[in-house]
Amino acid sequence: MDSNLAAGLAMIGAIGPGIGLGIGFSKAMEALGRNPEASGTIFVPYILGLALTEAIGIYCLVVALILIFAGG
Amino acid sequence: MPEVAAGESLIHVAIKAEELFTLGPLEFTNSMVGALLASAILLAAAWVFMRRAALVPTRTQSLIEFPIEWLSTIVAGSTSRWRGYVALIIGLFLMILVSNWLGLLPGVGTIGLRHDGEIVPFVRPAAADLNFTLGLAIVAFVVFVWWGVRVNGPIGYLKELVGEPRYMAPLMFPIHLISELSRLVSLSMRLFGNVFAGEVLLATMLALTTAVVFVLPLAFFVPAVFLGLELLFGLVQALVFALLAMTYITMAIAEHEGGHDDDHSEASESQAHPQHSEPASA
Repeated sequence: MDSNLAAGLAMIGAIGPGIGLGIGFSKAMEALGRNPEASGTIFVPYILGLALTEAIGIYCLVVALILIFAGG
Repeated sequence: MPEVAAGESLIHVAIKAEELFTLGPLEFTNSMVGALLASAILLAAAWVFMRRAALVPTRTQSLIEFPIEWLSTIVAGSTSRWRGYVALIIGLFLMILVSNWLGLLPGVGTIGLRHDGEIVPFVRPAAADLNFTLGLAIVAFVVFVWWGVRVNGPIGYLKELVGEPRYMAPLMFPIHLISELSRLVSLSMRLFGNVFAGEVLLATMLALTTAVVFVLPLAFFVPAVFLGLELLFGLVQALVFALLAMTYITMAIAEHEGGHDDDHSEASESQAHPQHSEPASA
């Protein structure tokens, strides 16, 4: 019970990466709209940026999952 | 359906890989079966396609070659010439991709031995085990440190770690050291978290649909949607792992050529080799 509550609280940390991913995606789309030929060059840094941002959310998720399935 | 006590979940997901049998001192877990299966598939595919490979590709061959070619354009575009690590990056990508998609096959998480009232599946997607992802991350870590030392020399590599104003070394050296080591953690945790979360998601959706089994179409379509999503995630995560490993290695090499100015070294590289300056065809 306590660990389930803790898992829920841990996922509050996913708010930040969510906002960050949205900003990153919108900026990539903006860049693509301005310069459609650049899609090839934008793609790799874009994926890397999303991955690095998303990692923070994934840490929260891992903590929450460990609390649920191994916390007891 | 058996009565479920309050607070006990319908979903059974073990956070660590379950042991199937012991082989001497080695505990043989089901994620090892997954990893071995993925390797076997890759080896068999490599053998078959190497034997059949023609200079003028057939339709199947070019279908297989297209993603590898596309990835090698990206990877090769990051360096001025073919270096040994390009093959490693593509190998990492293929291994993670195959083991991720292997985990989506029917029967992978469901067929197994009944042990203490719970099913221990024979096969578990390899990346849903932290040992596997940490192993891959250690390989990538060793390779990018090795390339950094090889290109910059041991002294140059240590200088990179110390940083530019030498008097800041007592502060910056531990920070740089931790940031190098944190790549190990973030690489492995990202892959593990994504794949394991995918497993939990699929198990949750299956449990939900068995709970409302009287709505029959739901039981088929809802998990199918998420299986499709997991196909995409498996591909993206494999790509992300490979690209990050590539970026770390490229950074370790580029630090030597252009000092701290990455753009400068990149520009000089693309000047020398104009064929790499054009954007990868995506």
